[in-house]
Amino acid sequence: MTLGAGRVLLLLGLLLASPATRAGGMACDSPPELLASHAALPATARAASAGSLRILVVGSASVLGPGTSGPGAAWPARLEALIRARVPHLALEVVTRGARGLTTAETGAIIAAELARAPFNLVLWQVGTAEAVRGLDLDEMVEQVNEGLARIVAAGADTVLMDQQFSRFMRANANVDAYRDALRLTAAAHGVPVLRRWDLMQAWAEADTVDIERAGRQEKVAATDKLNDCLAQAMQALIRDGVAEARGRPGQR
Amino acid sequence: MRGLIRGMETVPGKPGRDLRADVFRGIALWFILIDHIPGNWLGKLTLRNVALCDATEAFVLLAGYAAGLAYGAALDRRGWTFSAAALLRRLGTLYVAHVFLFVVFTAQVGYSAAALESPAYLDEMHLDVFGEQPYLALLQALLLRFQPAFLDILPLYIVLLLMLVPALPLLRRPWLLMGLSGAGYVVVRLLDLNLPNWTGGGWFFNPLAWQVLFFTGALLGYAPRRRGPAPAVPFRPLLIGAAVVALVLGLGVVLVGDYGEQWLAALPQPVAELLATIDKTGLHPFRLISILALAYLVGHAVPRGAQWLRSRAAAPFVLMGQHGLPVFCAGIFLAFLGRLALEMDDRWPMQLAVNLAGLAALVSIGVVGAWYRMRERGEAPHNATNPAPVGLRAPVGSTTTVT
Repeated sequence: MTLGAGRVLLLLGLLLASPATRAGGMACDSPPELLASHAALPATARAASAGSLRILVVGSASVLGPGTSGPGAAWPARLEALIRARVPHLALEVVTRGARGLTTAETGAIIAAELARAPFNLVLWQVGTAEAVRGLDLDEMVEQVNEGLARIVAAGADTVLMDQQFSRFMRANANVDAYRDALRLTAAAHGVPVLRRWDLMQAWAEADTVDIERAGRQEKVAATDKLNDCLAQAMQALIRDGVAEARGRPGQR
Repeated sequence: MRGLIRGMETVPGKPGRDLRADVFRGIALWFILIDHIPGNWLGKLTLRNVALCDATEAFVLLAGYAAGLAYGAALDRRGWTFSAAALLRRLGTLYVAHVFLFVVFTAQVGYSAAALESPAYLDEMHLDVFGEQPYLALLQALLLRFQPAFLDILPLYIVLLLMLVPALPLLRRPWLLMGLSGAGYVVVRLLDLNLPNWTGGGWFFNPLAWQVLFFTGALLGYAPRRRGPAPAVPFRPLLIGAAVVALVLGLGVVLVGDYGEQWLAALPQPVAELLATIDKTGLHPFRLISILALAYLVGHAVPRGAQWLRSRAAAPFVLMGQHGLPVFCAGIFLAFLGRLALEMDDRWPMQLAVNLAGLAALVSIGVVGAWYRMRERGEAPHNATNPAPVGLRAPVGSTTTVT
């Protein structure tokens, strides 16, 4: 218990400084408003205080880090490494499940199966890409997200959703905005934070931080690695913000 | 340019053409072009940013209005068979236009994947349904069951006009038509009915629900026997107040959705979910109320004879509205080019170029259409010996170029 309290203090001291005020270009110079959770992550906060955190990452291809130098460079793996580096004493387990082109119904089913197998404190759910790209039914996606979120809440875990990746090609050839808006509103109605990958990646592309579509053939792998690392940093910042929110934000705002 | 506009001069004793419908239709067509180019900065300034409805609703309402006006007049003068045939002819044109735009779309996808040096995208994103099953994709596109992104308004329009064919005689029984249409809308929403889509789910714009807006427009546009202007919904202070309240509430919902969605969590769960699920596919009642309230207010705020409707600034939009079909189809095509351009480069010089060129192209299509129509008519006025071009146009008045 005393150990736990010490760890909490460490967490608070280290992690709660607002992303914007942190020196050294936190989370790849992301716009700070995109790192705000706007919602609490109570289960995650409790688990972190208790010293053990189990995270489930589910999504389509991007959770596997396609185009990176290896599995260790995918954003879920980078996120795990970042949290470990920051809180070495935390008993952390990250389980990643995903495959190319999975729809929301399919990733929702994976989450249900994983939650039935073992408890998790935090589910990071990347949704909506397959629907937007293939022009699948918008209402169906929203319904599946509603069901999935209710299921995760019933299992006593927190959720962070992640929306579509920014791509000029996708923007030109698919009606992504409709799906992004639906996702954002659905998450908001449930009080669930969204890592707005589209907006983040667009901001990074505009600031020339990382832009995989404009990267030359030689730099593509390095750029994809950097993108995954930036996403992991942004996700970490968002989770910290949600944990701080759950703890009533001592010393903040 | 103003010399090309039909209905510019008001003839005493005749109701004349309602330029309001033309100008707002022109603006809606311009907004549709803008909204069909994601990443376009002007997209932040269109109707969808301040109201629960957008240019699609305005377009469908005004398309209904124009159809009620033109085919209603044809119905009164030439009977149902003739007006149905005229409608089917228009449908054929729209269908061919849609198939052409589909071909353009598939070419665009291939081209832009190649331009970004990432053919892997096609595969990775499953965008390549066409590449996987070309024969089936083509068949499904012809059946209107395969509608790629941004190619969803024309199929809606086609089905709406098709529904109008049997419904034409009901224009004379407005309450019956409105009752049937409204009941259909309610049933479709309650039972969640939609036309099937090949890629799963239903159409992005469900014609079975959107018909209620189209038929409302048709009834507003239909002037029985052309005795006077189409009957407007009368001015009632209470109704005006309700419309204002509806639009203000709608603005609030849009602003919360765009800038403060985290406030949704503070609302009771059912309210939050209601606000988060205002769907466009089935024309959510809030969206329907929003466009009707807007139309009602604008209809009373802008008098028929408002001077600005005949001004230099309004002329390009009036011309666009008077030649809605070619302008609309060209707009979908221009949106392809605009998306490709912004895919290459989306900084301000390109933004400026895309928007200026887009609007200029739409206006010139309106101008050319008006010029051609005028020459065509000027050279063969009241010509009974040349029935081919005149046969349809003379009695129907504005049919061919309005809808």
